[in-house]
Amino acid sequence: MSEPAIRVDDISFSYGDIEAVKGISFEVAPGEILGFLGPNGAGKSTTIKILTGQLTPRSGAAQVLGVDVTTDDPEMQANIGVCFEEKNLYDTMSATENLRFFGSLFGIKDVDTDGLLRRVGLADRAKDRVSKYSKGMRQRLMMARTLVNTPKVLFLDEPTDGLDPVSSQAIRNLIKEEAARGAAVLLTTHDMHEADELSDRVAFINEGKLHAVDTPESLKLRHGKRSVTVRLREGDTVTERSVSLEDADAGELLKTAVASPDLMTIHTEEATLEAIFIEMTGRGLEG
Amino acid sequence: MGRAQEKGADAVIERILLVVRKDLQLGPRSPIFLWVLILPFLITIMLQVAFGNLFESTPRLGIVDQGSSTVTTSVEAVDGIELTLLDDVDDLKRKVEANDLDAGLVLQPDFDAALQSGARPPLEFYVGGESLASNRVILAVTTVDIIREVEGSTPPVDVEVVALGKEGDPISVRLVPFITVYALLIAGVFLPSFSLADEREKRTLDALVVSPVRLSEVVVAKGILGFVLAIAMAVMTLWLNGALTAEILPLLIVLMVGGLLLVEVGLAYGTASKDINAVFALIKGTGFILLAPTIFYIFPDWPQWIARLFPTYWVINPIYEITINDGQLSDVAGELAIAFVVIVALAFVVAMLTRRLRTKLATT
Repeated sequence: MSEPAIRVDDISFSYGDIEAVKGISFEVAPGEILGFLGPNGAGKSTTIKILTGQLTPRSGAAQVLGVDVTTDDPEMQANIGVCFEEKNLYDTMSATENLRFFGSLFGIKDVDTDGLLRRVGLADRAKDRVSKYSKGMRQRLMMARTLVNTPKVLFLDEPTDGLDPVSSQAIRNLIKEEAARGAAVLLTTHDMHEADELSDRVAFINEGKLHAVDTPESLKLRHGKRSVTVRLREGDTVTERSVSLEDADAGELLKTAVASPDLMTIHTEEATLEAIFIEMTGRGLEG
Repeated sequence: MGRAQEKGADAVIERILLVVRKDLQLGPRSPIFLWVLILPFLITIMLQVAFGNLFESTPRLGIVDQGSSTVTTSVEAVDGIELTLLDDVDDLKRKVEANDLDAGLVLQPDFDAALQSGARPPLEFYVGGESLASNRVILAVTTVDIIREVEGSTPPVDVEVVALGKEGDPISVRLVPFITVYALLIAGVFLPSFSLADEREKRTLDALVVSPVRLSEVVVAKGILGFVLAIAMAVMTLWLNGALTAEILPLLIVLMVGGLLLVEVGLAYGTASKDINAVFALIKGTGFILLAPTIFYIFPDWPQWIARLFPTYWVINPIYEITINDGQLSDVAGELAIAFVVIVALAFVVAMLTRRLRTKLATT
């Protein structure tokens, strides 16, 4: 197995007396997308700030690409891409100028601005000042800026928050492409569907603590109900019956249902990530 | 790996210059930057409307002497008139019309003899339309006085000249410290402080600090741009006002010391402020302290020791001594040494505020 791109070992951080991150540990492999799920104030952004060298953990250790995040090493910064929730672009610059400037900071003389802007669907607005962009266009440009140095590790903080479905899907596709290229992705979101669609594994964080790190499928299997719902037509009405797979006679019941001419559908009762999160943390993801 | 990602001094300088270049590129799109550039011109216009040139030009008279009149030699002997002798009347008219001369005089052959014989010879006196009215009056009155002298007539009254008021520099000269420090302050304090606060407010600083650029490098870059523009604007303001008369090297050195001190003040304001409104509040609250010593030059009757209580005095007085009194660096070495101490202290303050800003950026 390859070395993890991100390795977090028991890190903690406090804002004054408030403990924002309480001894969390996880790893992200190259090419993997880890969905970091939690409500506002759970410690997601603080963890990203620690991993990008903006904050120093009170205790524990963390490495990105094998570099200790507390060493303030430009080599590490050169290989990461950070997409902030805030659209912090230079408004009075064009998209091309923004990308060229940030590319130059990474020592890249000839940034392929056309290629990057094509990927985010902004090639035809390359020369426009960012101040004229819509929220969705800014977010897509933020993603382009994040990719300017072809990073090996991506930190994406709510990259689709508040976007229309088309812009959101465009950004999700980009994230998948980057992971397929081999980039490790730490994606914070409180959108469960997005996390489910994109993440190879998800981490549940609440009040600074990690409650679970696993694949969505495993979590669903572990926490979902082992049952199926059978829908049968009975005259003019439709009846639904839940069959627990734990019951001794579950096999017989299903056999009978399948053989019945009145059978309409059989489907599993899979738990959603949100339901599992609530079950594990005792609170929802919104707010 | 690109140079910008490395840790060495060359890479640090390269990253700083990249930020300077970006700020220069954005400059013409920023109202503050444009204000800094047009300010010297505005100050010049305001002061010239109010007081005329800071260093009023001496009246310039051209004479075409077709004989050898004693009027010419008498004008040559007058202090405060710049005399140009010409051979050709058309040439004289051209120079007056082009405002190269304030006035021109044509003295015909045997002018003195005709005058002394009471023949009332013709005298052509050309006045430039663009010349200052004060210069025209001086030249006209002086010319008439000299002609009377040559004629041998006695004035009808005895004039007793009594000097009133204390001997001292005119207001236009006493304003030099103010205009110079104002130009340094606008570029040196306003530009770095507003630029930093603007980047913090728009959160573009956050994006910079997760790239290979360090926050300290961004702060230094803002300082460099402010410093260079402060010196350039101060020199330009002095030049536009005709006050760039001192030796250039000592003048540049004192301006650089002043620029450095004020840039550090600007960086302190910028790193301490969460947004542009906070910078405005700081400048409004403390701008008086920065400019206060210049008021003591405008009002020399005030107790001058008070000016020394303000930290900017130690750069303002060297500027005054070099610009106005043709002083040398050795004359102001003690004051520059105190300014240096203030600069070192401010450097520590800026470094501390930069560290604090880094934490603030990550925690807000």
